[in-house]
Amino acid sequence: MPHRCYVNAIAQVSCQSPLSDSWFDAPLSFDTDYVRAQEPVTKGLIAPAESRRMSRILKRAAATALTALGEAGVAVPDAIITGTGMGCFENSEKFLLDLCRYGESCLKPTLFMQSTHNTVSALIAIMLRCHGYNNTYSHKDVSFESALLDAWMHIASGGATTVLAGAHDEVTPLTAAAMRSTHPEYAMVSEASVSAVLSAEPSASTLCELESVTIVNRPSTASLAAMLDARHDSVMMVGINGNALTDSPYATLLEALPFKPAMLRYRHVFGDCFSASALGFATAAHIIARGRVPQHFAVAQPMETPQRITLLNHSDGNLWSIVRLKKA
Amino acid sequence: MKMAGKIYVTGAGIITALGTGVEATLAALRESRSGVGALRRLVTDLSYLPAGEVDASTTDLAAAVSATYPSSALRSVVLGIVAAREAASTAALDVDDLRRAAFISGTTVGGMDHTEQHFGAVSESGGQTPEAAELRYNDCGYSTELIADALGSFGFVTTPSTACSSAANAVILGANLIKTGMADIAVVGGTEALTRFHFNGFNTLMILDPERCRPFDRDRAGINLGEGAAYLVIESEESAHRRGVRPMAELSGYANACDAFHQTASSDNGEGAFRSMRAALDMAGLQPSDIGYVNAHGTGTPNNDITELAAMRRIWGDTLPPFSSTKPFTGHTTSASGAVESVICLLALRHGLLPPCLGFVNPIEPGAEPVTRLTEVEGLRHVLNNSFGFGGNDSSLIFSTTEE
Repeated sequence: MPHRCYVNAIAQVSCQSPLSDSWFDAPLSFDTDYVRAQEPVTKGLIAPAESRRMSRILKRAAATALTALGEAGVAVPDAIITGTGMGCFENSEKFLLDLCRYGESCLKPTLFMQSTHNTVSALIAIMLRCHGYNNTYSHKDVSFESALLDAWMHIASGGATTVLAGAHDEVTPLTAAAMRSTHPEYAMVSEASVSAVLSAEPSASTLCELESVTIVNRPSTASLAAMLDARHDSVMMVGINGNALTDSPYATLLEALPFKPAMLRYRHVFGDCFSASALGFATAAHIIARGRVPQHFAVAQPMETPQRITLLNHSDGNLWSIVRLKKA
Repeated sequence: MKMAGKIYVTGAGIITALGTGVEATLAALRESRSGVGALRRLVTDLSYLPAGEVDASTTDLAAAVSATYPSSALRSVVLGIVAAREAASTAALDVDDLRRAAFISGTTVGGMDHTEQHFGAVSESGGQTPEAAELRYNDCGYSTELIADALGSFGFVTTPSTACSSAANAVILGANLIKTGMADIAVVGGTEALTRFHFNGFNTLMILDPERCRPFDRDRAGINLGEGAAYLVIESEESAHRRGVRPMAELSGYANACDAFHQTASSDNGEGAFRSMRAALDMAGLQPSDIGYVNAHGTGTPNNDITELAAMRRIWGDTLPPFSSTKPFTGHTTSASGAVESVICLLALRHGLLPPCLGFVNPIEPGAEPVTRLTEVEGLRHVLNNSFGFGGNDSSLIFSTTEE
């Protein structure tokens, strides 16, 4: 029998108020197609000298990790597992720009050292002196779910009791402009940094239980529909955001379902990036924990309090993830 | 939770500076022939630095694998297709097997070779040129999907990215999916192509040796970068029996630990390396003395080799097992190295061969001499492969013969 996996804390930095849950009842709204994350106040979390040396994504990741661990009362987790679509792209971009402008001399080592995808996971391990399992997944829109799957496996198999799992992506103005120019249909682009503490033990801070994580590549619509059922998946949190390109795979799937699930959404509040689904995970967890659905997350009519929410996400309509959360 | 029995390796594929395929790799090892030399493909001001470059243009490689996407670049993808196809073919995976299988490919470079060709124009235009569309190939996941799709329709794909231990961590995720019953076959490994970005990146750290690298030598002076791809097919004992395929080896132990010390340097006592080797031995149920060969991470940097030795001393004490780094053969294939060196470990096991640490002259300390010439041994049962990445992402894999 697998161990159960509880979500004991989540902290976020996004375009909403950082390290806060105020987005749940009173989300800020934006009339723009690109909004950067609001930088967290790191005073009291990270030593100023350390903080000054960190790039934005590192500062956000450290802040969400330390906040979530603090809320869950975990000093050092057994494992740190991170998802990131683009890694520390701001540093990669600076290094590339220097390479283009100045050629192959006078390049800065720090930009390279802090440009790899695993810099975030390593930084948190170094800060916590955590020698446990440490891994990073970089697979487009399912980077977070890849990390979550690995984390869930560690807890369920008894290989770890507590895991810090998260997803972090920064989107530079140049990347946002490039996305916009090639994909004008894109909805609001933003950034995300989410850290969650998963544990085999429930606690006073438990938000919900993570029942399962499934990633499936290129399923037929019928086979994907067959993986969902009315008993487990009657409420779905989906990544729709008004962009026909990324919304239509959900519509195709819904038509193939033999039942009609209630729908929740989150990307209109948080925007879009490779790590956005981690914010959908946070939203679903808070809805279950608080036992109510603020109207702005419901796609259509007001909704009863769901005991279960299925977070559905996809990458280009090819790679799908199904994350099932339920009341603890 | 279902915890399966043994995990077997039933297929392998590789392409590096040593050549294309497992047999070409074996031939180079037997001849002690290094693939490290002058750069011929990558256009860089740093061409005075030797590297382990695959001796074929990306266009030719793409033509050979009938790749149909922008084949002028995406070298990591075409390298990956070559190696992954060989692995799938040696394991006799058919279309239905692939449908159930996971494809897990570690990379860091992803499509950076393509990105760096277009980034100047994109930045000049503030992202407003149609060329901006080329940046979509940059991310690691895209390269994994292109490789997977060239083989068939896998049931699961993802991409670990932990710098130089990416491929080893792909092996570990695949093994854990099999152990927990979430998959019964996984094609696991990694791919990395030389790019100006990471060539220059490593150069800023001043850890590239202008000569051929000399791991574990007292006067070692750094890394030679390499490129390539390698994949293993791993599967549950039950699946291998059902499919009637002969295992090449057993993946008997594996572990991932974090040094948690520094982004680009290892701790003096090799804490992460010690922990990953120790935990892999524990999983395999082996004593340190059972290990007949260690394929060390052995990059040739002053820091890596001395700290890896320190970690090995903590496991083996005064009497180290035969060990070597094969990076003077292939160059440091970074994200692919865990899989490249796993294939070399499989060859060592199968043929009773200990590959030499080319270029070694003087030990770092007494009693720390690696294997210096190709050595044939009887009764090699267990070999250990180390892969350590930036960020202290340290992973160890143990391969064992399947005969009782």
